[in-house]
Amino acid sequence: MGWGLIAPTLIVLAIIGLIPFFYVIYIGFFDWNIFSAKAGMVFVGVNNYRRLVFDEDFLRALWRTLQFMFWAVGSEFVLGYLLAQTLVRDFRGKAFFRTVHALPLMIAPIAIGATWRLLTIPGFGPIPYYLSKWFGIDYNIGRFASHASLTVVLMDIWHWTPFVTLCLLAGLTSLPKEPLEQALVDGANRWQVFRYITLPAIMPVVLTTFFIRVMDALRVVDEIWMLTGGGPGDTTRYIGLHIWRIVFPKTDYGYGSAMSLLTLYFTIVLCWMVFTAIMSRGQETS
Amino acid sequence: MKPKFWTILSLLVVLSTLVACVAPAAMPAPAQPAAQAPEATKVPAAAAPAESWFATAAKNASCVGKTIRGVAESTPPSRYAADPIAKEFAKETGINVEFETTSWDQMYDKEIKDMEANTGLYDFVYIEQDIVYAYLARNFLVDVTQALKDKPDLHFAGYDPAKFTTFINNYKDPKSGDVMSVPMESFVKPYIYRKDLFDDPAIKAAFEKAAGYPLAPATTFKQYEDIAKFFTQWGKDNKMELWGSTVQGTTGHPASFYEYYETIAPSFGVYNWGINKDNWKACVKNGGQMNSDRAKEALTFWTGMLKYAPPESTSSTWDEVAATMAAGRAAQGWVYGENTGWIARDATKSKVVGKIGVALPPTYQGVIDDAKAGKGYIGYYDGGAYGIPVGSKNKDCALLWLQYYAQEKFQADWAVAGSRIILKSTYDEPKVQELDKITNGYFTLQKDQGYLFAGAPAFPFHATIREVITPFIWKTLMGEMKVSDALDKACEATEAELVKLGYGK
Repeated sequence: MGWGLIAPTLIVLAIIGLIPFFYVIYIGFFDWNIFSAKAGMVFVGVNNYRRLVFDEDFLRALWRTLQFMFWAVGSEFVLGYLLAQTLVRDFRGKAFFRTVHALPLMIAPIAIGATWRLLTIPGFGPIPYYLSKWFGIDYNIGRFASHASLTVVLMDIWHWTPFVTLCLLAGLTSLPKEPLEQALVDGANRWQVFRYITLPAIMPVVLTTFFIRVMDALRVVDEIWMLTGGGPGDTTRYIGLHIWRIVFPKTDYGYGSAMSLLTLYFTIVLCWMVFTAIMSRGQETS
Repeated sequence: MKPKFWTILSLLVVLSTLVACVAPAAMPAPAQPAAQAPEATKVPAAAAPAESWFATAAKNASCVGKTIRGVAESTPPSRYAADPIAKEFAKETGINVEFETTSWDQMYDKEIKDMEANTGLYDFVYIEQDIVYAYLARNFLVDVTQALKDKPDLHFAGYDPAKFTTFINNYKDPKSGDVMSVPMESFVKPYIYRKDLFDDPAIKAAFEKAAGYPLAPATTFKQYEDIAKFFTQWGKDNKMELWGSTVQGTTGHPASFYEYYETIAPSFGVYNWGINKDNWKACVKNGGQMNSDRAKEALTFWTGMLKYAPPESTSSTWDEVAATMAAGRAAQGWVYGENTGWIARDATKSKVVGKIGVALPPTYQGVIDDAKAGKGYIGYYDGGAYGIPVGSKNKDCALLWLQYYAQEKFQADWAVAGSRIILKSTYDEPKVQELDKITNGYFTLQKDQGYLFAGAPAFPFHATIREVITPFIWKTLMGEMKVSDALDKACEATEAELVKLGYGK
């Protein structure tokens, strides 16, 4: 009876999850470019994986993705915590602010990319216009790598900080007040309260949120594709976008599949590390 | 109280639903004021009779009530095909056309996946001239000529490949000569300049004083650069948002590859991307031209134009270049001809209505002679066609659609809307001749001198090699790589990829 009830879900999962996954594993062992003179798929064993280890473009894309993840997720946590602490307190217009600040979460990533493109496109966008007019800064995301990198990180922060804020706010509001009050009575300063009471107490929420954001940052594609297309050059060509360019415009299916799998492996390792941290933290608490 | 409330509410819902259903029929929408209706979207007056040939053919082919699906790039010509032509087709034949107009990247992404997997999702797809050879090599397309021979009942008498311009030759199977797709647009990429500025006496005098010769559309690259430099300075001096040149120099999209390899390099005499078609080599040492001195000179010239181009240039694809020209931000440039019409006449989008002129692009000495002799070309002759994927489940219905839009009755308005021509007779249409005057001779240039331009080389590996070369072009535009290094490395990477693909050793 139980298996019967979950059978539809399992079938759907198998069709949309497992079959494509095993197909990608299979394709990864072939050299397959539909515009090749050698028609069809040519078995190359693990050669695609061997190439990947020495592929500078792939390794650079992976490294850039990690850098992007570090700056974006790190900034989101700092800002998100400060905003959550602000929203814990009562102030006039709190409900309005909380609603407005969560609006970016409701917008589709492709629309976020389009909006930021309109804001920052050199020559037409208001941001380059006013930076040039007021500060004499030649801000050009199509030309300067640093400008493009900074802009995509800012866009991600704008998009995802509300998510971090809401998660941490949920953690903070669920904390009992007594330990905090006792610490203050015992003479602890604000840093000590944060370091020894608040942070350990909300650590499961922090780790879970971190886990979700890391996964999101590692697979970012649509916003970046819309804003910079991965440019200028390959400055913002993060791993998801790099794989897309290899698989679709370049139609190098075999190599792209191997790349996808290696990236998945890398992501799983990172997930496992975060998961282990969460579990060990849970054991310590219990 | 409560039951009464629910009864009244239910009645209101039922009544409002009834009113909503009846309203469109009972209260026709007010007619659109003639003054607001854009001329380009008018449906040709010769509306189809109730039982036209197409209506009968659709019935006989059991297509009535069916829906054919297609995908195309969102350009003025494709949007016109979607509305009004596809709607007119649906009204006349009972075949619905679900027309997906999307970005260039997404279009190829979708249609290639569909044809490779043979899913039959699309019944017709847009095929730009440069990709058709790859599709033919993969046998993705239905042979239109053969299909019409096999089913003569579906052959519309008005459809005759001989009526098309020579652009249709791009879509013929080199072996059989059969038409594999039916063109829906073709245009050249001319040199466009601001005629109002070039004719301004004060500007003319200032330019002659600065350059030492009269201001006129550039025919050499030295003249082009002088003009670009002059107008950039003129814009600064007069506090105008005006620069000397457009550059399709996006650093995150293949559009910059296309401007260099299909417009700039050929005008310097570097053809076929610099790839030697006899041995599939690109480097000079192996018989190619990709890293030749002339190719380096061409790339140096083009990237040098960024100094005189508006700041958006490093983010500009073909669309943004047209927008830059329409916004009056550039004095001259290379602009895809499909945009000429709206830039020259549509005051709702363009600030330079009636102010642009067209001419042949500047060329290196001897390149025009090469083009006349059929040994080369001076720039890009672009266009597209709709073809039927072999996996289509509605091939007969799609065949009718392909012949339907190619009818002469649509061509004049379509040319006005999208500055494109597919039939020879369209050049003589009064509306086209009128637009020709407004654009200062765009259609005349395409008709008389179009043969000097050419489409992309017949490479089956087009997209793959483009993806290999493009990063080097981007890095040059950003100033991260020197022109010489970039082209040396690009040719080596190209050769390595060609060997991997099975071309050459």
